[in-house]
Amino acid sequence: MIEALLRSARAGQRRAVLLGMAAAAVAALSAIGLLAVSGWFLTGAAIAGLTGAAAVKAFNYLVPSAAIRGLAILRTLSRYGERLFSHQAMLFALAEVRAVLFARLIAAPPATALLHNRGDVAARLGGDVETLEEALLRTTLVPSGIATLAGTMLLMALAGWAAAAALLGAAGASFAVARRIGRDRIAPALDAESAALGALKRCYVELAAGGDDIAVYGLAADVCAAIAAAEAPLHRARAAMAGADTLVSIVHGGLTGAAVAAIVALSPASAPVVALAALAATAAMEIVGGLARLDIQRWKSRGARARLDAMFPDAAAPASDGAPAQPIVELTVAGALHRIVPGDRVLLAGRSGSGKTRLLETLTGLRDDAPEDVRIGGLHAAGLPLAARRSLFALAAQDAAMIAGSVADNLSLARPGITRDEMQAALTVACLDDVVAQLPGGLDCWLGDDGARLSGGQRKRLSLARALLAQRPFLLLDEPSEGLDGATEARLIVRLGDWLAETGSGLILVSHRPAMRALATRQIEIDGDPG
Amino acid sequence: MSSRDNATSATPAASRGALAAWLGDAVAAVLFALALAQLLALHVARDLRGGGGGDAGFGIGGWAWMLLLVGAALARGALQGGAFAIGLRHAARFAAELRARVAPALMVSAAGRGRLIGEDAELAVTAIDRIEPYVARFLPLRRAAMLSPLLIALAALPASGVAAAILFGTLLPFAIGMALAGSAAARASEAQLGALSRLGGLFVDRVRALPLILSYGAEDRVTRQIGGAARDLAERTLGVLRIAFASSAILEFFSALAVALVAVYCGFSLLGLLPFRAPESLDFAEAFYVLALAPEFYLGMRRLAAAYHDKQQGEAALAALAAAEAPIADHAVAPPLLGAPAALVVDAWVVRHPEGAAIGPISARWTGPGLHLIVGPSGSGKTSLLRALIGQVPVESGRLYADDAAIDPRALAPLCGWAGQRPLLLPGSLRTNLLVGGANVGDAAIIAELGALGLASLIAARGGGIDWVVDDRGSGLSGGERRRIGLARALLSARPLLLLDEPTADLDAASAARVVAVLRAAAMTRTVIAATHDPALIALADSVVEIG
Repeated sequence: MIEALLRSARAGQRRAVLLGMAAAAVAALSAIGLLAVSGWFLTGAAIAGLTGAAAVKAFNYLVPSAAIRGLAILRTLSRYGERLFSHQAMLFALAEVRAVLFARLIAAPPATALLHNRGDVAARLGGDVETLEEALLRTTLVPSGIATLAGTMLLMALAGWAAAAALLGAAGASFAVARRIGRDRIAPALDAESAALGALKRCYVELAAGGDDIAVYGLAADVCAAIAAAEAPLHRARAAMAGADTLVSIVHGGLTGAAVAAIVALSPASAPVVALAALAATAAMEIVGGLARLDIQRWKSRGARARLDAMFPDAAAPASDGAPAQPIVELTVAGALHRIVPGDRVLLAGRSGSGKTRLLETLTGLRDDAPEDVRIGGLHAAGLPLAARRSLFALAAQDAAMIAGSVADNLSLARPGITRDEMQAALTVACLDDVVAQLPGGLDCWLGDDGARLSGGQRKRLSLARALLAQRPFLLLDEPSEGLDGATEARLIVRLGDWLAETGSGLILVSHRPAMRALATRQIEIDGDPG
Repeated sequence: MSSRDNATSATPAASRGALAAWLGDAVAAVLFALALAQLLALHVARDLRGGGGGDAGFGIGGWAWMLLLVGAALARGALQGGAFAIGLRHAARFAAELRARVAPALMVSAAGRGRLIGEDAELAVTAIDRIEPYVARFLPLRRAAMLSPLLIALAALPASGVAAAILFGTLLPFAIGMALAGSAAARASEAQLGALSRLGGLFVDRVRALPLILSYGAEDRVTRQIGGAARDLAERTLGVLRIAFASSAILEFFSALAVALVAVYCGFSLLGLLPFRAPESLDFAEAFYVLALAPEFYLGMRRLAAAYHDKQQGEAALAALAAAEAPIADHAVAPPLLGAPAALVVDAWVVRHPEGAAIGPISARWTGPGLHLIVGPSGSGKTSLLRALIGQVPVESGRLYADDAAIDPRALAPLCGWAGQRPLLLPGSLRTNLLVGGANVGDAAIIAELGALGLASLIAARGGGIDWVVDDRGSGLSGGERRRIGLARALLSARPLLLLDEPTADLDAASAARVVAVLRAAAMTRTVIAATHDPALIALADSVVEIG
């Protein structure tokens, strides 16, 4: 599921992950070392200074003072490296995760893929994937945290086994308590929080649906009261979370104090080494605290993981082979069998709502619910995979949908490897060549969201040009001349007729406009009711 | 403009309690450093005496310092956790007040602003929620980051003026570095936010165009494009982060430098090897104390840097709210009319349907009292016309006159009893829900009204009479019951105008007949304007306007 995807995405960033880990360990150790050496140097210097001039002369101050400066610089550089590499690994791994999730969504059966609200999909791919950052950062930082702790233990060993045991015990206890509090108190509070947030949103929507009543009867105060009541569980959950965080923090603080106190009280070593150990322990506990907080974060991404798993199920079965069916369409409508082969020009007639568009979408494989008996190449359409069906049909849909992009982006959706000359030719057939020529940038003109730059009729014709470019045995046109003036429509009909004759493509047309209908040589009456 | 005032009143303030806790943490850090220095001084003294090993020579004083050490560490944990908890309480109050101000205004102006309820819910629920961490964490940390270095330097001063000066000395180049890196980071992060929203837009767009992509088999090409865009975003983000990390490297560097300089100065001072004449002579406890304080000097700023994300999200949400305030203010309620108009005239009104189609022009003259109906096929705009009469749907052209004076429809709302298709049920008793119109009506009259509408059995079945509590999901009321509760509410409001949307829909013949009788009776004393398909009601009408 999402875990496996994260693992493989991280494996692709191996180099950055390893560099990040190494830099994190160096950064932590140099931070601890800086304080430890400083403490040792200071204490040694104090003793030498108090012992007398001979001791001062004997005291080697050059090495520690150089080490202090060196560690200060090393800490800065390695911290920068740690951040840069761990974020590099994380960002590119998440980019990979997003692309794979989107591919999964597209590979799902059209019926489920088309079901999702697009805002939801964007939210999942955006915010929910972002919460996985923590999981990826954790995997870089936890190994380096362990390395840091091991390094600090070596320093502690100088101060005696009791000092080492004190730090190890405090670090282990702090981590264990954080994990336990996370599981027992923070995880349920997070669940409560997300439930409360959902309830608050529902409450808002429910109340807002009564906006008329609120306006007429002046119910602002009642609305506020209802919202305040819905907000209360949210704030309670947050307070519970903050309480648990505080508890983690108190325990950590107490354990830090206890560890340092134990080192000072129990270490049999000389004063400089005790100072070294005490400061190193303080710095090490700060790093442990950071890791414990990161560990608690795992509960925060749990909901996001569950949602991602639900929306983007792993495509267990690979997309079925796209072996195209035979280009023969057989429709049984009201007991009569209609056979359509490439070269035929057929009009689907029937009143609004009789299911003409539904039939076109069923042919292309976008849906399977046409009540008519639909066979493609002798087989039931519903049993054929999407890939086998769509390779036969090029649909210029009624809504003439566009992707946000240029004219060329939209045209090149039709199939791979379309040349610009082919695009121009298709635009000419669709009577859009002059319009595109006048757009700034021509084929490369940016059309905005859903072709916002074009009029309805222009979008229709761009959608038609795209269908022409697909080079499929059948052209399916759903109200292609809607929104066109008579002159343009007449020109379009002539050019489209020539194109059909030239390519030998079949035409299945839905149109209410008489001139357009004349393009068809046969008519099939659709009544919308099965049987 | 009042929207300007609203924007400033929405600016949150930092919680004083949280600030106090963060500063308390700095004080506890000072105590921790003091205790540790004193304890190590005991070790140094023992070493100088030549006494080896063990806990000998700690004495009462030693144990007291020990107690202070553990107590200070414990207090730091409590204060750090507590600071956030206190900040959160403050933030929750701020969010609740903001929501109480924004939500009702959004709800009554949604249609006028042409916004979907879902979009408004994002604003009133999600956006305000994003402000909470900003208020709870970032704002107090920003104040604390300014005050805590002062506090730490002040605490170092009695032990070593030079060390305090060193700490302050590193602040100046730090501030210059941060100012340079900070403004670069801000510019880059704006570009980054733009790239992020474009990627989000790309996802939305390609999901919208999914049927197109599927029908042309363009999955591979589109997926490659999405993958390319996602990697491009990662690249840009990393570019921003490089700058952000550089600015935190500056912070790290000066924080490390402060420790290193203090350590070296103190060490050489203790050795008596300083290359200059220091104005002070340090003993070990003083020297160690200032060394242990040195990392605390920059801690506040490091915490603030870690809360940068809260700041970005919170400020973006505040900006979104501020941007919504002006259109809300434009749709504020107009001052109500003084009295009930005897005649209401709609002159060549063109009303914009929520889905975008224009309705009208419509003209009508309604005189009170009487039963006036609006009829037309479904989808012809009857509901939109009624909603336009209370100012809930924008009027594109034409005018509304009350007794020959042109008025804003919003001024009409307080004179109207309203019963829509799906009346709003507030959490509370049935009585509360029925008396929202503000009239002073006794229980007997309420029960009589419910009885006349055929709802007596409803109350009897639920128990509790009119004290029965309606829950937020409508308590399993049927569509017809809910509709009649809305009707009873309008009738009980004692307002002179009644605007009713399909009052007899969803009802069986007997109930519908009761409602028709009630409405005919009400129309003897009030102006009733109703949208309907019901022939029984149309047969009794004083006037009928046909639209569509």
